[in-house]
Amino acid sequence: MPIEDVLSSRGRVKILRILVEIGELNISGIARRAGLNYATTNEHLLALENSGLVRHKRFGRIRIYRFNEENPRAGMIKKLMESWEQTNKSEMGSHEITNR
Amino acid sequence: MRPHTSVFQDETRLDINYLPSRLLHRETQLNFLNQFFRFATESPGKMSQRVLIVGKIGTGKTVLSQHFGLNITTEAQKRGINLHYVHVNCRECKGSLFMILQQTILKFIPHFPKRGYSEAEMLQALMQILDERNAYLILAMDELETLIRNGGPDPLYKLTRIHETRLKAPQRLSLICILREPECLEMLDPSTKSTLQRNIIHLEEYSKIQLRDIINARVTLTFRQGTVSAQTIDLISELAASEGGNARYAIELLWRAGKYADASELLEVSPECARKAAVSIYPVIQKDTIASLGLHEKLFLLGVARRFKQTDAAYITMGDAEDAYAVVCEEHGERKRGHTQLWEYVKTLSASGIIKTEISSLGQRGKTTLISLPMVPASDLEQELSKMLHMKKE
Repeated sequence: MPIEDVLSSRGRVKILRILVEIGELNISGIARRAGLNYATTNEHLLALENSGLVRHKRFGRIRIYRFNEENPRAGMIKKLMESWEQTNKSEMGSHEITNR
Repeated sequence: MRPHTSVFQDETRLDINYLPSRLLHRETQLNFLNQFFRFATESPGKMSQRVLIVGKIGTGKTVLSQHFGLNITTEAQKRGINLHYVHVNCRECKGSLFMILQQTILKFIPHFPKRGYSEAEMLQALMQILDERNAYLILAMDELETLIRNGGPDPLYKLTRIHETRLKAPQRLSLICILREPECLEMLDPSTKSTLQRNIIHLEEYSKIQLRDIINARVTLTFRQGTVSAQTIDLISELAASEGGNARYAIELLWRAGKYADASELLEVSPECARKAAVSIYPVIQKDTIASLGLHEKLFLLGVARRFKQTDAAYITMGDAEDAYAVVCEEHGERKRGHTQLWEYVKTLSASGIIKTEISSLGQRGKTTLISLPMVPASDLEQELSKMLHMKKE
């Protein structure tokens, strides 16, 4: 999957961010947190899984998704998201200090 | 004037959940547990174990099991074995196997879905998680009575027989069952009972001397040096020994005595503080029993306590209790629960010994449940509950 297909979809980016933050989660949990419906979430997850960015484990009827640590692209996206969040946090912290 | 310095150095170590680094007077029993579970670090997966720990309240059942859990997982880690110890309280899980399994799975996958699956699916998922991670689990189920009373023999049967359906697979799940009333096991089917009763560890009540050692150790950990006199320690161990060798009671007494000393701005915890503390604690119903109740159980109990404060009668009817509960709900801005749910609460409260129930007999029209409060004065119970509910709101 070309990178624009991943990063141009708000839903997919949201899902990836949730998985970076939480680690492992089932579809309903991801859908609830992303504010998407089940079917859309499922579709995005299938696409992300086909591209090798995420993978799932099945426990009976339950599917638990997580980042595919073995895929180098997944690792890169995860790192990007983590440092993005980190920068956001430190910027917010410095804003608070200036406002005081 | 100098401000008064507290007698405490670190009172958190008197908390009910605090795990002391050394377990006093339970070395033999700890050794038994180590022997029973030797295979877990020497040849994991070759067998599984079920051990029963039986003893009265405050005899160190929970702390023994947790201590063992900590030791064995550390030892396993050193040997590169993926062994986990999970401690669940069946009462907090409302005696439901589903909730016990859910709590266990959440230790492995913190965001595992909480609804929509059957008990059997949960058990299967747990075994799959263990298989995938090549992990072994010692599941300690505290207050097992609740699970047996609520679920009958089935939950334990399923847990003890799980390996029979997994032929040739490594045996990954071992059980530690902790209970106060061994009579409860009579409710199990003969095969489960015999499986469980193979390895029993009985914990005798602590003697006065043993209690003194335990208190001494806690005093060193929690109080500033020289603030607790030997006479106070003696008195507390004597009182706790007379309450069935209850170490938990002794520790609670010690904490309260310290609080009385602080409140009176004393430099030392005197025997008088311990006496005052003893009057304020009702050993049969302790803070943690009440604290583990759900919000509406607490509200219902508060209603009952208030109704008893207003009346000299020994019993109130279920209807009276429901009316009182409705008023409490209004006061706390909660939507009141229905009769069937309240009836469930009455059963739980009665099982934990806080209230006593009996069915009305002759001389009254119809049939109703009569509730009495045999152990605690209503005013004290009301005070304790109000404090807890107030803290929750804050």
